[in-house]
Amino acid sequence: MKHLRVLWKRVAGLFGRDERDADLAGELEFHVELQTQDNLRAGMSAAEARRQALIKLGGMDQTKESYRDRRGLPWLDSLLQDIRFALRMLGKNLGFTTVAVLALALGIGANTAIFSLVNSVLLRPLPYKNADRIVIVWESKAGLSPHNVVSPPNFLDWRSQNSVFESMAYLADRSVNLTGEGSAEQVDAQYVEYNFFDTLGIHPILGRGFTKQNDEVGNDDVVILSSALWKERFGSNPDAIGKKILINGSGYSIVGVAPANFDFYIAGGSVTGEHPKLWLPLVLSLPLRDRSTAGRFLTVVARLKPGAELDQAQAQMDTIAARLARSYPNKDQGWGVTVVPVRREISGNVRPALLLLAGAVGLVLLIACANLSSLLLARATGRQKELAIRAALGASPSRIARQLLVENIMLAAIGGTVGIALALLATRALLQATPPGLFALRSIPVGAPVILFALIMTLIAAILFGFVPSYVLAHFEVSPSLRNASRGNSDGRSGRTAHKIFIIAEVALTLVLLVGSGLLIQSLLHLIAVNPGFNPHNLLTFKVYLPTQQYRSDEARIAFFGDLTDKLNNLPGVRSATLENLPPFSGFALWGVATSVLLPGQSPQLTISERAGTAVRVVGANFFRTMEIPLIEGRAFSPGELASEKHVVMVNQTFANRYFPKGDPIGQKITINMKDDQDAPSEIIGVVADAHESDLSARAYPLIYWPYPELTYSSMSILVRTVGNPLAIVPDAHDAVLKIDKNEPISGVGTMNDLVADSIARSRLAALLVTIFAGIALSLASLGVYGLISYSVAQRTHEIGIRMALGARRKDVLWMVLMQGGIVATVGIGTGVAAALALTRLMKSLLFSISASDPATFVGIAALLSLIALAACYIPARRAMRVDPMVALRHE
Amino acid sequence: MKEKTDVPQGTLALMVLKTLDVLGPLHGYGIARRIEQISGDLLSVNQGTLYPLLLKLEQEGAIESERGPSENNRKARFYRLTRGGRKQLEAETRGWEKTTVLIGRFFQVKAEDLP
Repeated sequence: MKHLRVLWKRVAGLFGRDERDADLAGELEFHVELQTQDNLRAGMSAAEARRQALIKLGGMDQTKESYRDRRGLPWLDSLLQDIRFALRMLGKNLGFTTVAVLALALGIGANTAIFSLVNSVLLRPLPYKNADRIVIVWESKAGLSPHNVVSPPNFLDWRSQNSVFESMAYLADRSVNLTGEGSAEQVDAQYVEYNFFDTLGIHPILGRGFTKQNDEVGNDDVVILSSALWKERFGSNPDAIGKKILINGSGYSIVGVAPANFDFYIAGGSVTGEHPKLWLPLVLSLPLRDRSTAGRFLTVVARLKPGAELDQAQAQMDTIAARLARSYPNKDQGWGVTVVPVRREISGNVRPALLLLAGAVGLVLLIACANLSSLLLARATGRQKELAIRAALGASPSRIARQLLVENIMLAAIGGTVGIALALLATRALLQATPPGLFALRSIPVGAPVILFALIMTLIAAILFGFVPSYVLAHFEVSPSLRNASRGNSDGRSGRTAHKIFIIAEVALTLVLLVGSGLLIQSLLHLIAVNPGFNPHNLLTFKVYLPTQQYRSDEARIAFFGDLTDKLNNLPGVRSATLENLPPFSGFALWGVATSVLLPGQSPQLTISERAGTAVRVVGANFFRTMEIPLIEGRAFSPGELASEKHVVMVNQTFANRYFPKGDPIGQKITINMKDDQDAPSEIIGVVADAHESDLSARAYPLIYWPYPELTYSSMSILVRTVGNPLAIVPDAHDAVLKIDKNEPISGVGTMNDLVADSIARSRLAALLVTIFAGIALSLASLGVYGLISYSVAQRTHEIGIRMALGARRKDVLWMVLMQGGIVATVGIGTGVAAALALTRLMKSLLFSISASDPATFVGIAALLSLIALAACYIPARRAMRVDPMVALRHE
Repeated sequence: MKEKTDVPQGTLALMVLKTLDVLGPLHGYGIARRIEQISGDLLSVNQGTLYPLLLKLEQEGAIESERGPSENNRKARFYRLTRGGRKQLEAETRGWEKTTVLIGRFFQVKAEDLP
């Protein structure tokens, strides 16, 4: 208790110092006066009396000092003193401070920014219960897709035969039209099994989820809204529960509202490319359960049983798949299963890029720290005399160490603070520079984990790279420096070597970053140069969905789209308009809609899974002309073929080459599993060039085009080739739709150019950021080399003077300095090349059409870096050259 | 800076408390004079160490101080014992007495007395 009281008093003693100092001074003065008077009475002279009084007291200042030590918290006092001194030292060497702070700020800032991005995308908690136990289960087929949507009969067999999943549920995304209360709107709906929300562990924030009753036709006219939709259409009013909304013209009762941050969008299984805004029950009708009629279209989500691990699940599903393939060869032969953790499914696309960025930015931090170290080393050797004097005056090694530590922490703290500020700016800029779909983030919060990360980085930078070298240097080389009084700034050998090693490391790491940047930029340029196979400029796209209730017959739908394309074609500013069910770059998974075909000469006994595979597209009139896809052989669809079913198809080049390698596909008849039967196959009437559909770097796959009447999909995308800016005609296009059906909304309005650009956003971002990092690294490394050589020249001025006095010419001196720099640079570049060769292998998945060890890039970068290093050496070398031997000899 | 004193702090504190107990409230110089008088030549005390000690005792709550008028009519700081200080004094006095008796017994023992 006593200690607490004393502590409290001492903390209080930190305040009101001046007043107390005056008080104490008065008290001591009073004491001395009384003693002086006593001395006078004892017979001393006035002056002697006072002197003796002071001696007896033990000295005014010492007494005051002891008193003050007891009054406050002396360690705090000396700490504050250290801090004040450190700040003053930093202020005096503004050049050094600025460079050091800048290096640290860039290093810490970049790392914090990337870390917060990685944290948000790869590490943030997903809005599902125990999200790391949730997986997506795909079907897979070699040559088609490792992540293929699932057929309902297979799903049901998986569920009944497995023992690794606690629960499984299916889902499928579709576009629907919302009408009735509020404006007509086309939204993405997620049709799910009734136990979907239970599988994810999600409870609605209002109302209830789906029940077993909803799993029957007749009881499935219920809907769960997303929070956003509930806010938009019902103002977040709780009495929305029980109300009805019109979906595709039919009434559905609202039974619940999903939590605010809930989102479940699996791009790999989506044909809409949009996040769902409402959930509807999907009842598997008999035809869907029948293997002979069911197709593959489900996305399957499952929760692992407690204790079951991913590899166990994969192994068991492999066994089940093999069993199914044996039992149903017609449909399942050659098909397997892939189990993917949901987190990887959601962020997998950007994972490699993010990891690359994290690695690259780590290198930048290392370079910044090396820079800091070398700066401090140079300064430490310069301060040895100062530190030696301090030690001689009585500062204990721990006091000196503490002061150095405080200096470094101050430096790092300033650098770290600026760094965090930079990170905040950077994350905001990052989000703005990337399309919203890339990271699926609305904001990158710089929250507690991120700040903590920045603080830890700062401390590591301060202690490891700042304090330790300075301390070691100062501590172990104090005596020699005092002895070498004539050579004021003596250089410790170990200090110089350490300095050189740091600079070599900087150069090496810079080379790695530059090579990475070079490879990524070339990759990006190759990607941009890829011919998409059609003309993406001035091409508008939007989606229209015709609800089956209003448009029951094929004829109704054919009439609608025919009417629409006519109206659009007649708009001013429109060159031509057409439709397609899945236009390029609209975010669907590989191959989109696919099926199997029976080629001429093949036996009809071949099972479905043994037949050739092809993707299928349904297109309207003037499709190839509008898209500017060249016709290679044969002809396009005739008006009659576009008006009603005539069993004709067009194929792309890959289809023709793969399935008709010798001979002409024109006129041949193929049976397309999706709708043809053997007696009414389709005739190939034309071959068109391959068009890239989703990824400029992907290889083409076989594809057939049907005219719209063959398969009258309800949801189609309209493509409009315009004269000028495509977005300018959007209002007119919308009007055209409304003129035909005033309840028809349009959605997904965009330009093809934007969609293509978005598809390479990932590569663009990687190239941009790594280049920025390489730029930072290059600046820091150049500064480092310059600093090293500069410093070395300054150290050796005396020596240079002697050499010159002994007959060395200026050119020899220049050469000597350049050599020194050259060795450092060469070793650095050599090490860097070796490191780069090892490391770039890791970014193979992000490179397009360029090897990870592309010799031209390596040689070019090495040459560039050599030149820059040379330039950095040149200035101090010239300075060395101009040394006046007389001045140098006198220099101390 | 370490305090240079010939007397351990604990002992000096005891002397201060006893002085205040016997003489009542005193200012710093008065305490120093009194200690000097009593200890005579046996002790040389750096008077300056008194003031930090007085502060310590005040922080611990053994004494308290206030400004008051003094002999040359100047305002000085007077220290006086608190109740807690008096208790501490009594306890330490008993402790010292015990120690003195114990040590005394040891010094009286002669070699012959030991078994």
